[in-house]
Amino acid sequence: QKAAEKATTKTISEKDVDEFLQDLLMELIESDVAFETAEKLVEELRKRLVGLQVPRGADTRKILEGKVHEALVELLKTGWRHIDLVSEAKEKCRRGEPLVIVFLGVNGVGKTTTIAKFAYMFKKAGLTPVIAAADTFRAGAQEQLRLHAERVGAVFVGGRYGADPASVAYDAIQMAKSRGYCVVLVDTAGRMHTDIDLMEELRKIVRVAKPDYKVLVVDALTGNDAVEQAKFFDEAVGVDFVVLTKFDADAKGGTAISVVDAIKKPILFLGVGQRYEDLEPMEPEKLVAKLLS
Amino acid sequence: MPGLDAIRDAVRKFLRLSGPYERAVEEFIRDLQRALLSADVNVRLVFDLTRRIRERALKEKPPPGASRRDWFLKIVYEELVKLFGGDREPEVKPPYTPYVIMLVGVQGSGKTTTAAKLALFYKRMGYKVGLVAADVYRPGAYDQLRQLAERIGVMFYGEPGSRDAVGIATRGVKELKERGANIVIVDTAGRHGYGSEVALLEEMKRMSEAIKPDEVMLVIDAAMGQKSFDLAKRFHEATPIGSIIVTKMDGTAKGGGALSAVAATGAIIKFIGTGEDVEEFEVFNPRRFVSRLLGMGDIEGILERI
Ligand SMILES: Nc1nc2c(ncn2[C@@H]2O[C@H](COP(=O)(O)OP(=O)(O)OP(=O)(O)O)[C@@H](O)[C@H]2O)c(=O)[nH]1
Ligand SMILES: Nc1nc2c(ncn2[C@@H]2O[C@H](COP(=O)(O)OP(=O)(O)OP(=O)(O)O)[C@@H](O)[C@H]2O)c(=O)[nH]1
Ligand SMILES: [Mg+2]
Ligand SMILES: [Mg+2]
Repeated sequence: QKAAEKATTKTISEKDVDEFLQDLLMELIESDVAFETAEKLVEELRKRLVGLQVPRGADTRKILEGKVHEALVELLKTGWRHIDLVSEAKEKCRRGEPLVIVFLGVNGVGKTTTIAKFAYMFKKAGLTPVIAAADTFRAGAQEQLRLHAERVGAVFVGGRYGADPASVAYDAIQMAKSRGYCVVLVDTAGRMHTDIDLMEELRKIVRVAKPDYKVLVVDALTGNDAVEQAKFFDEAVGVDFVVLTKFDADAKGGTAISVVDAIKKPILFLGVGQRYEDLEPMEPEKLVAKLLS
Repeated sequence: MPGLDAIRDAVRKFLRLSGPYERAVEEFIRDLQRALLSADVNVRLVFDLTRRIRERALKEKPPPGASRRDWFLKIVYEELVKLFGGDREPEVKPPYTPYVIMLVGVQGSGKTTTAAKLALFYKRMGYKVGLVAADVYRPGAYDQLRQLAERIGVMFYGEPGSRDAVGIATRGVKELKERGANIVIVDTAGRHGYGSEVALLEEMKRMSEAIKPDEVMLVIDAAMGQKSFDLAKRFHEATPIGSIIVTKMDGTAKGGGALSAVAATGAIIKFIGTGEDVEEFEVFNPRRFVSRLLGMGDIEGILERI
């Protein structure tokens, strides 16, 4: 190291970061980053920060905070992109095939509502989607989705309660093909990721529907279990991207960090309310700014 | 996977670890903190709890004949049980009839399903139960509850198409009582009450003022994280919460968020949901729960010895 540089910079030591990282760990946990994820992130940050050269007299804490922000944004950008589903649907349509999207997740996270929001988005862009109500299990599931479809002006394909969900998905896709609809959105029943039979049923739906996208829906209020949910679904059927719902419930956003860290798949949308317009693209910078505020 | 099972491992480690008692205590407390935080127990609660445990462990004297380590585990057990509001099974029999229960909670927590589970539970105890569908927002909410009511064979009241939640609840409670129901359960719309949803909390308050429920039950998802405390507090401030039901205990979530709800409201956990089926419902048993987290064999034996 040159003498001149030494005079103007200092090296961040283990001691400089200890308290900072301890506080950060607690802050992340309070923001609903899963405990294990938070611990891992903090240890990775320690490696990055210790030994760093910073200008003498600079506000070290500010610099450290900047580095944390950077690292979290970097994580949220794993596989992340601006996705244009409308163009993709039109593109596929020209080849005579609909864009098929299947929605999955545990009970009550917001799959059906998110489908209605996606349908609204396509409809607004001039594409009428077909909605497959492949939840033939939960009481009221068919009526719920039928009403949504009517309200947003989507085509509804349902099934009798107790019917095979895969066949509902199949019917909807066949119908879209024969009538030239460009999008099929497949709703599935909520299921616990630990339920072996129901996960097998989900695999069957996916085998039959051959979706372009498998979308995992996760509730932004979920704590540590978000890691388990993401891993199980990703291992069972594979997840292409994630929608984080109920973000409007004053969620801190740590759940996003846990999910992306667990399966390295991007979160592309946030659900921010119960209206059809309440679906936003996820913006890493914005989410991290909120998380660390 | 970390979580409450980790406490069991920590107990085993604690009993095995040689060396000074103080060091074993510190190490155990660290393990306990990690386990509780991994189980979604509120950060503040965790630190309050472990501070109390440490204080008692270093101050109190074990009774003659008991080892210090056995004594310490008894303290941990006692303090954990205190978080659940005591170690007795809750009283679930209504103190009088007719009895009106109003279910509240965040979107998707399981209120409608739980309304049916509760109705079946009380029907089997011999009560005449009626369900009121007072969620006017979620599409299909009326059909969902009506289908469930038919499935379990209880009375039902709803007004499809109406937008007047308070009116439906009022008329529903009145009519079902007239039809002979001695327990009426009112299902309400999901809400969190933040931001643009403040009006929904207001609606809940008006409904509760109109029907004067004998008990408001907060339905909370076992997977909910750190937000549980704040959310439960908001609900409690709008309509005092009498008891808590934790749903979806059949997944991998540990349900630690429910402890935050207990702390925020002073209410006790009465039931847990363990599946989607209306039968998958149990009276909450804190003793069994804590014993399980601490490792049955170890703790039961120790409690008897002391
Ligand atoms: N505030 C808010 N509520 C939401 C959001 N997304 C969904 N919800 C609500 O969450 C509740 C559950 O949503 P559903 O779409 O039925 O959830 P689901 O995953 O399909 O549920 P199951 O099919 O029963 O597993 C409904 O009351 C929705 O209105 C959101 O982004 N914000
Ligand atoms: N696995 C499991 N699923 C449950 C349990 N309780 C409820 N559910 C499921 O959770 C989802 C949401 O349940 P609902 O009863 O519709 O929830 P809600 O609180 O009425 O939802 P909103 O009215 O939209 O606020 C459904 O798929 C239920 O079948 C449970 O104990 N275990
Ligand atoms: Mg659904
Ligand atoms: Mg409901």
